Amino acid sequence: MTFSLKRVNAIFMKDYKDLLKNSYVLFTIALPIFYSMLLSKISDDDPTMTLFPINLALIITGAFIQAAIVAEEKEKNTLRGLLLSPASTLEILVGKSALTAVVTLIVILVSVKISGLEMLSIPFSALLIALSLIFYLALGTMLGLLSRTVMETSIIGMPFLLLFGMMSMFKPMFENELILNAIGYLPNEQFAVAWVTLSESGQIGDIVGELIVLTLWALAAVVITVITYGKRRFD
Amino acid sequence: MENIIEVKNLSKTFGNKIALKNVSFNVKRGETFGFLGPSGSGKTTTIKMLTSQLLQTTGEIKVFNQPLKKQKDASFMKRIGILTDNSGLYDRLTVLDNLTLYSELYNVERKQINEILEVVNLQNETKTQVKKLSKGMKQRVTLARAMLHKPELLFLDEPTSALDPVNMKHIHDGLRELNKQGTTIFLTTHNMMEAEQICDRVAFLHQGEIKQLDTPQNLRIQYMDESVTLLLKDNRSIVVNKDEKGAEEIYQYMRSGEVVSIHSNEPTLGEIFVQITGRELA
Ligand SMILES: Nc1ncnc2c1ncn2[C@@H]1O[C@H](COP(=O)(O)OP(=O)(O)OP(=O)(O)O)[C@@H](O)[C@H]1O
Ligand SMILES: [Mg+2]
Repeated sequence: MTFSLKRVNAIFMKDYKDLLKNSYVLFTIALPIFYSMLLSKISDDDPTMTLFPINLALIITGAFIQAAIVAEEKEKNTLRGLLLSPASTLEILVGKSALTAVVTLIVILVSVKISGLEMLSIPFSALLIALSLIFYLALGTMLGLLSRTVMETSIIGMPFLLLFGMMSMFKPMFENELILNAIGYLPNEQFAVAWVTLSESGQIGDIVGELIVLTLWALAAVVITVITYGKRRFD
Repeated sequence: MENIIEVKNLSKTFGNKIALKNVSFNVKRGETFGFLGPSGSGKTTTIKMLTSQLLQTTGEIKVFNQPLKKQKDASFMKRIGILTDNSGLYDRLTVLDNLTLYSELYNVERKQINEILEVVNLQNETKTQVKKLSKGMKQRVTLARAMLHKPELLFLDEPTSALDPVNMKHIHDGLRELNKQGTTIFLTTHNMMEAEQICDRVAFLHQGEIKQLDTPQNLRIQYMDESVTLLLKDNRSIVVNKDEKGAEEIYQYMRSGEVVSIHSNEPTLGEIFVQITGRELA
């Protein structure tokens, strides 16, 4: 397998030029920022709710925009062109994720700023965000590959939005310990707990468990996405 | 001449539908080889298998003297160019941006973009957004993209189906030029004029089988009918057989100075196709 930065960069630049003219994507990017404006008025004791602006940026921008731009390559029959070029699987997947990654980071920074959320030190926040970002980008890529059109991503993506975006909000509705425990293992919950713990203690040793769970989520998502890519790319 | 593609007993079934039946042929390095057949005859299916987009059910394929690899092979991809039947473009981007992406993916110099745009007669549309182009113009951009890196072997699935005669001729000139520079071309078409004009050899594909394979010239001779047509001064045209009686007739007309022209009745590839398969091409 080859890895050429030139080819990754070519795909990135193409996506960037395209983004500037894509009103659907530009509008979707604005959503999490708009929400964090509203949320800044509400304060909450639950770490997941405090960190909701970041989580929303991750799932809307990191996963849904990624899904849309991957699905559009299928819908418009342009993915085939990339597949039939010398670009390797790795170059295509990284190239197709690079722009979304950059945009998601910008949206996170803006949302954090607006919502007044306290930042961690740069290495800590970078570590947590990077792990989550890998998970959401892989999830988005998989959703895009499973969809035939951009429209379909919102239908296929709905259960994932509920699970990884909204489940935490429904926590008060559940009494069953087992379910609540399970929800606690969701990546956004793990992320939030790790973030709050770090901001209180500042000790990386206190979040080893969360780091392991987040890494497992990211790994699983990448593996499933690569398998999906192998099966669905030429559909 | 060395074979650049070798296909032996190739078959493809989709479920219980047979798309290709035991097809064998070779393509020689340097030639322009045409797959001529009506809709649904298996042209696209064949191209897809030759470019490893589709796995054959049975049979052998060798390209560049090697069996196709299951895994994607960047060096192989660099040596071939592909125009699929539904090649898409980034329609919010300009023609130039679309080609720039591919010049980088194939590691081709930027100046080759301008060269290729002239071949497809789009040098004045570089800054135009693709979605503002006509259908034929889009087809020419995808064609430019497939030829950009001057591949050793170029696969074209109905490259001119959306083009008017002027642009078709332009593209044909471009393909001939590329062919002269060493590119082997495998193309499919249901346009017999196209096959006649640019193919060194054509295979007639019908219901997944190759019914005939030869040079257009040989096919015409083989299916030439046993008569000639005389055009007379009074605008009558009469058909005479190439036998003793015919010779007598021609002699009479010539003697009386009535003959304007004599044509042998060579059938077109389209007519030969109908003769062989009992079916029209388009
Ligand atoms: N993915 C598929 N699943 C099922 N059947 C298929 C599939 N692809 C092609 N076929 C069938 O195989 C046969 C050959 O199709 P193919 O696309 O190769 O024809 P073609 O010669 O390219 O036609 P056209 O000139 O219309 O492009 C057709 O009967 C078609 O219905
Ligand atoms: Mg076809």
